[in-house]
Amino acid sequence: MSDAESPDTDFDPVAPNTGEDFEPVDVFPDSDDFDLRPGADSCYKCATCDTNCPVAAVDDDFPGPKFQGPEQWRLKQTDDDYTVDDSVMDCSNCMRCDNACPSGVPLSQMHNTARGEYVSEQMDKLSVEYVRNRILANYRTSAFFASKVPRLANFAMNFGPARWVMEKTLGVTSERDFPEFARQTFREWWAERGGQATSRENAKAARNRRGLPEDADKKVAYFHGCYSNYNTTEVGKAMVRLYEAFGYEVVAPEQKCSGTPMFANGMLDDARRHAEVNVSSMSDLVERGYDAIASCTSCSMALRQEYPELFDIDGIEKVAANTFEAVEYLRIHEDLREEVREAEVDGDLAEEFAYHAPCHSRNQGLDRQAVELFRDLDGVGVEDVGDSCSGISGTYGWKEEKYEKSMQIGEEMFEHMEDADGETGMTECPTCAMQMEHGSGYEIRHPLELLEAALVE
Amino acid sequence: MGQTPHIAVIGGGSTGAGIARDLAMRGLDVTLVEQGNLTHGTTGRMHGLLHSGGRYAVSDQASARECIEENRVLRDIASHCVEMTGGLFVKRPEDSEEYFEEKLEGCRECDIPAEVVTGEEARQMEPHLAKDIDKAISVPDGAIDPFRLVVANAASAQEHGARIETHSKVTDLLVERGEIVGIEVEHGSGPGKRVHGTAGGTEEIRADYVVNATGAWAGRIGDMADLDIEVRPSKGVMTIMNIRQVDTVINRCRPKGDADIVVPHETTAILGTTDEEVEDPEDYPEEQWEVDMMIDTLSELIPMLQEARTIRSFWGVRPLYEPPGVGSTDPTDITRDFFLLDHEERDDLPGMTSIVGGKFTTYRMMGEQISDHVCGKFGIDADCRTADVPLPGSEDFSVLRDYMDEFGLRSPIGRRSVERLGSRADEVLKTDGPNPTVCECEGVTRAEIHDAIEGSGSDLNAVRIRTRASMGNCQGGFCSHRMASELHAEYDEAVVREAWDELLQERWKGQRHALWGEQLSQAALNYALHATTQNRDRDPADGDPVDFSAFDAGRSRAGGVADADVAADGGTDGD
Ligand SMILES: Cc1cc2nc3c(=O)[nH]c(=O)nc-3n(C[C@H](O)[C@H](O)[C@H](O)COP(=O)(O)OP(=O)(O)OC[C@H]3O[C@@H](n4cnc5c(N)ncnc54)[C@H](O)[C@@H]3O)c2cc1C
Ligand code: SF4
Ligand code: SF4
Repeated sequence: MSDAESPDTDFDPVAPNTGEDFEPVDVFPDSDDFDLRPGADSCYKCATCDTNCPVAAVDDDFPGPKFQGPEQWRLKQTDDDYTVDDSVMDCSNCMRCDNACPSGVPLSQMHNTARGEYVSEQMDKLSVEYVRNRILANYRTSAFFASKVPRLANFAMNFGPARWVMEKTLGVTSERDFPEFARQTFREWWAERGGQATSRENAKAARNRRGLPEDADKKVAYFHGCYSNYNTTEVGKAMVRLYEAFGYEVVAPEQKCSGTPMFANGMLDDARRHAEVNVSSMSDLVERGYDAIASCTSCSMALRQEYPELFDIDGIEKVAANTFEAVEYLRIHEDLREEVREAEVDGDLAEEFAYHAPCHSRNQGLDRQAVELFRDLDGVGVEDVGDSCSGISGTYGWKEEKYEKSMQIGEEMFEHMEDADGETGMTECPTCAMQMEHGSGYEIRHPLELLEAALVE
Repeated sequence: MGQTPHIAVIGGGSTGAGIARDLAMRGLDVTLVEQGNLTHGTTGRMHGLLHSGGRYAVSDQASARECIEENRVLRDIASHCVEMTGGLFVKRPEDSEEYFEEKLEGCRECDIPAEVVTGEEARQMEPHLAKDIDKAISVPDGAIDPFRLVVANAASAQEHGARIETHSKVTDLLVERGEIVGIEVEHGSGPGKRVHGTAGGTEEIRADYVVNATGAWAGRIGDMADLDIEVRPSKGVMTIMNIRQVDTVINRCRPKGDADIVVPHETTAILGTTDEEVEDPEDYPEEQWEVDMMIDTLSELIPMLQEARTIRSFWGVRPLYEPPGVGSTDPTDITRDFFLLDHEERDDLPGMTSIVGGKFTTYRMMGEQISDHVCGKFGIDADCRTADVPLPGSEDFSVLRDYMDEFGLRSPIGRRSVERLGSRADEVLKTDGPNPTVCECEGVTRAEIHDAIEGSGSDLNAVRIRTRASMGNCQGGFCSHRMASELHAEYDEAVVREAWDELLQERWKGQRHALWGEQLSQAALNYALHATTQNRDRDPADGDPVDFSAFDAGRSRAGGVADADVAADGGTDGD
């Protein structure tokens, strides 16, 4: 077998030393102690991953993904006193190394698992770094409280003296502006609008309009994630209206954070708690024929790849197999290209866009879709600003000690944005959007917003 | 004869090195000669199991008792060479229950701590074991690094005044007036540390006594004085996996058979083995089916082996000895015990004793007995101290250090380095200069490479066995040239080149038996790298120094013409 041809390593990650409640025959419950040494079998040391790592490019002290992943795992033993090198905390979890490896080494799984082990076993739980990371990783919690008092939060979070204190005591950079909280969350809007019942009606009407059978099996479960719920609610609303216009009934099931910022900070216990809720509500729906749709590429990445790699939760494989990114799904199931070709955009969004493909969209093979799709759309232009990493990687660029590096990584993207014709940015990822806005001053939109403008009356 | 008897020990395997240390510590003058590197023979081609004795508990209880005794001693005096992994004798449903009971009983009779564990408990310890195993017996097996152990023995002997000559082959025994009085040695590269390209030469080493510790080669030495030593060399194959699928020694619990053991060794796991008599300890067939059979059979215990990556395979020959008249036909029936053959008693030729048979695990005990024997010859009454005095590197040490603070090393690299160096870690790793990682697979830094070079001259294979550099999954693909360049400064280009070639040759040798799947990808990449960046596919520089002036230097800067007589076809400057 050549590993280059079948990049899926089919070893079973297992957890040794699981203690009392060990169940030897089936899966290994509730443990993050995966033994990923077998993953090192696929590595032939070519260092392609290192040359693709944006952090290694700007941070001389970061040893890079080859060391972090296959080398560290091979050198490590399962004994408890074998420690994980602390440099794993400098990886931003952009997951570009995953994509770069020609040999199918499960790099990000290795980083995530090692980071989880590092945080739970070696990191001082009273350290400022831990507290800061925990707060950043649990964005949903902060956002939840902030959304109760959005105006106050918007003021307080960006209030100069408060930010100074945050930087000095917590290590959260004061260079960045905190994202603005919406006055009404997406879920509040959704409930007010009549929830699933309204969506069903809208979908029916659209099917009639399109000459589709009224009972066509078109239903999706929307994973809006935290950001479209608390901050960019227009993205969530666009998703709903767009899908309904194609005749899809949308539900917005109970959900928590996808876990992306938690993986990046090694908070695997937190991530698991959230994942359990998400998987449980999504798997019920998937069983009933719904597909899971995310508008954030990191959320879809988490559900599709990180969940099954890191956790054993009932139904997780099935959810992973039925999760899609919002535009991707329509491109598969609808003749989106033709509809876009016939459409035209004017008004607010008739713009030239500088488009950046998020790293996590790259891993899902989605990095060219916006450019290819909007090529034929009258009234707009979309220009790809290249394949570099934006540099923020979720929480990475929020850390005081990482801010400069984050901006260095983003340099290439900023320059290309500057060179592009447009003065509006576009991306699928909310934190990439923050970075784009921070570095260029442009307003940043989501492809769903443009699709809504083009296709929904 | 001077006051202190001078003893020549032939053979730099575990046995010879152990004897040299013991005699030197008792105050005797010792010269050890070895035809290759230390561990060139069977010792460098064995499984690395520190026997608990469990394997012999039914068939050969005398050996089993010796094993458990020495197992305890080595954990103490050779702690930096030993990893106490523990071992399991695993019974599959089709294996005999009766034998399982016999094994358990045998272990108890030989004082080997043995415990029955259920299949479930065994899988809890080792999750990759097959799901349908019945049960297992746990014993104190361990893993031991033969290279480090022999090097440490030789270093200790040297500290006690011994002379160690590697790459020095004994070509004759000197016999005068019916007595062996010394050896004739051919040095590969002059006495002392090996340096490539240094002229060798023949030396007569006169000795008051000669010890023949050449293992499977013992008969050849005997022949030099018309002595008949019936060593029956028996070969065995071992296959190295890229990673450890298990962290415990896994034995199959059945009477005897090939392919019944997996030993976790450093970063790898080693599968073994077979037992087949051969004529010539240096020239025997290495066959593909032997490797296939090992992987297939051991997959019954550890199914994931079927798909796992192997990095190389190698063969070793056991120096089995059977006293005349026993006449075993199957080599697995031959005892694993060792024998002292005093040629004065046996053949009326005083001056030499041969030591044959035995095992690596009992090397120290063998050394003790023969040292007693030699001392007896000279009426010396000196106590053996090898069971009490730790080897260099095994004095009190802890592997748990702050690797970054103390040595500037990332934790897995620091950990591995300290494990290898033991109590020598501070001395070797605390350097002023930059200390980059030279071998990434095994986590070996420049400081450790330099320490090895100091100990062994320009021989990179000797550096390899001391440090494990180039023994990981790239098999030297990414580090051989780095290791070679560490020789520079001290050694000139020709020496570096020769040492480098020799290392690469050796690395390819074992990989020939692993060229499928991932290791084939690795080999293809190594080949491409070496061909394109080192001109290894067709090396006109081989041998003679490179005539750099013959290369096209491109158009000259000043807008003039390039030297007319250098290659005229290229020369397009700039890119
Ligand atoms: C496949 C296999 C697996 C094994 N596994 C284990 C195990 O797991 N545990 C264990 O305890 N034991 C094991 N053994 C047994 C063990 O390896 C040997 O018993 C032990 O290594 C023998 O050491 P030695 O020093 O006697 O012989 P050797 O290591 O062979 O040393 C003899 C030395 O003499 C040198 N020599 C020969 N002729 C000359 C000459 N003319 N001049 C100078 N030098 C010369 C040779 O180069 C050689 O280095 C295994 C053996 C085999 C074959
Ligand atoms: S996930 Fe990104 S930052 Fe982390 S090692 Fe891989 S490429 Fe580098
Ligand atoms: S890209 Fe893949 S194969 Fe190459 S060094 Fe990195 S992990 Fe190994």
